[in-house]
Amino acid sequence: MTKIDRRKFMKAAAATTGAVAAASTMGSKAFAADSTVRHFWWGNPSRDKRTFGVIEVFNKKHPEIEVIGETLSFPDYFAKLTTQVAGGNMPDVIQQGYGVLFEYVDNGALKALDEYVGKSLDLSKIDKSALAAGTVNGKLYAVSIGANSHMALYNTRLYDEAGIKFDPFGWTYDDVKTIGVEISKAAGDGVFGTDDNTANYQNFSDFVGQKGVVMFNPESGDYQVTTDIVEEYWSMWTAIREAGATPPGKASAGLIKPPMAEWGIVTGQTATSYAWSNQLVGAQGLVKDKLGAAMYPNTPAMVPGSIVQPSQFICLTRDTDDAVAATTYMSAFVNDTDMTAILGLERGIPANPDVRAALAPNLSEAEAASVAFFSGIQGKTATLPPPPPSGANEIEQTFERIATGILLGQDSIPEAAANFIRQAGFIRRRAG
Amino acid sequence: MKKFFAKNGPGYFFLIPWFIGFFCLALGPILYSLYLSFTKYNIFKPPKWIGLENYEFMFLYDDRFWKSLEVTFSYVFMSVPGKLIFALAVAMLLDKGMRAIGFYRALFYLPSILGGSIAVAILWKQLFEYNGVINSLLAKIGIEGPYWLNDPNYSLYTLVMLGMWQFGSPMLIFIAGLRAIPRELYEAAEIDAASKWKQFYAITIPLLAPVIFFNLVLQMIDAFKTFSSAFIISGGAGAPLDSLNFITVYLYNEAFAFYRMGYASSLAWVLMLIIAIFTGVAFFSSRYWVHYENERD
Repeated sequence: MTKIDRRKFMKAAAATTGAVAAASTMGSKAFAADSTVRHFWWGNPSRDKRTFGVIEVFNKKHPEIEVIGETLSFPDYFAKLTTQVAGGNMPDVIQQGYGVLFEYVDNGALKALDEYVGKSLDLSKIDKSALAAGTVNGKLYAVSIGANSHMALYNTRLYDEAGIKFDPFGWTYDDVKTIGVEISKAAGDGVFGTDDNTANYQNFSDFVGQKGVVMFNPESGDYQVTTDIVEEYWSMWTAIREAGATPPGKASAGLIKPPMAEWGIVTGQTATSYAWSNQLVGAQGLVKDKLGAAMYPNTPAMVPGSIVQPSQFICLTRDTDDAVAATTYMSAFVNDTDMTAILGLERGIPANPDVRAALAPNLSEAEAASVAFFSGIQGKTATLPPPPPSGANEIEQTFERIATGILLGQDSIPEAAANFIRQAGFIRRRAG
Repeated sequence: MKKFFAKNGPGYFFLIPWFIGFFCLALGPILYSLYLSFTKYNIFKPPKWIGLENYEFMFLYDDRFWKSLEVTFSYVFMSVPGKLIFALAVAMLLDKGMRAIGFYRALFYLPSILGGSIAVAILWKQLFEYNGVINSLLAKIGIEGPYWLNDPNYSLYTLVMLGMWQFGSPMLIFIAGLRAIPRELYEAAEIDAASKWKQFYAITIPLLAPVIFFNLVLQMIDAFKTFSSAFIISGGAGAPLDSLNFITVYLYNEAFAFYRMGYASSLAWVLMLIIAIFTGVAFFSSRYWVHYENERD
């Protein structure tokens, strides 16, 4: 930590020279165009390729502006952004999610967009609900670049072979169990009906909604989930596992928030995995069998638990030098059909109806399935809750850690549930 | 003073690049992190002075901190002796004249070059997966391998093995040390009919003690600082059940996942103190077991 050895020093030296070199080339480009706009997003190879394609189109159409793309994987993205916040050198345009957007707004890292709307930033076509989701304390801070919801992906071949018929928009956890067991039997060795969601916080958050509980108190930010709900959730998945519908607990213990390549449905270990709807396109690209889309399972009472929320936003940062150029780019990103054609549905369903209409004729099978899914869930989702308070991310990680003890059969469910609720309360108090 | 420089001058001269790096690049951030360790700092808002609160919380209330110490210490106490013994054994093999010795030396050094890299950590993860290479080899001899990485009872051992496998640099230093032992001593011992074991423990070990000590200190410091392999293999979160939550992994998450820069800095300083204390103890104990030939200079 405190020691600089030769190798580290050389690395640092090389990095500095590299940065200087990069800065000087950037400088010369900036000379050609009037201003540069840095756009930073988290992505995956397919998204990166599409986004760089978009930037290329924009730069051709707007020779006075030079957009430079930067990309990293999700966890690295926020680590780097954090250091850039501290250093006061955030890129002009950044990608944000619903979970942390408000922490950035709260702490003054983002610039409000209102003064550019109707000038450099055209939002006249964007859905009202999408704009509302990006509005904090009456000011607009974020433009949605796609809507998203929770989606269960299933392998249609394995489901058909086991003779499964079910309602993808109204199945229950009991269905998950019976169907899972049948598939495990029909598919034979080493293939199971479903992923084990004991440690899946996404599914848990749905379940909390299905129980009629709002996770965080809108005013105080208190964690309102009760021990009973946690206990019921873990007991339910333990029953599904013990019936033989999932892989062994020890196997699932290694798959906490796995990357797409390790999802059960992608490795072929299971017939059902649980994801975000905008991931259907990416996952289908990795699986030979056709994937089907279903809602997350529910209880027989069918209280909606899933929400539709913007999957991602683009935001303007307080460190931008040329807000007009940056908002011009943001505007084109959500309106220009030449650019959105390249993006497709990879970031979710676009919030601009014209863009959706322009995409419709050229959708791939997976993209069409995800559009059909969105019409199927109409009226079956919960209202968008207020954004999570700080500490939410840590509560999620704590849930995953404690749930691992259940998967390994080391901890009793009532004790683990009580422990989790105690720690969640503590995390909120510490964050407040 | 003059005498001191006459003796140590060249040494300090060669340290100049290091001093420049230390004073110009490292010292500032180090002192700043000491300051931060007494503050609450979430990056967005300026640091707020809270005195000893971080340390108080750490020692009195933070169970994950104590668990991370347990993990880190277990790792150091298993991997360092293991690595040194392994390195010495291979060094002694290679010290015997044999054909293509340079090739073997390079070969055994290779893991040390690769070892710190992310690619090897990922490869290691795959080797130890339930359906991985290690378990299929075990299956060949009729043993059902465990879930190495998912089971907190085994996960740390995979990292210890990864650590031991990177035995190259202590091995090279051992080879140099072995070369420096006068051959006559062994010849005399042969004539006195001393067994190989007796030679090892009455000649090799005492004369190699300064080198063993040097390797011990370096490897210990390195082991306390283990981060990248633990980070990769534990999926970044110290999983399963915090069994790989090294103090370095813990402080990384506190800083960059939960934005508690102040608390992370205090964890870093505790780690530094631990390393300093252990190095100090090693130096102190060395008086009793390390003898330098030119001690009376």
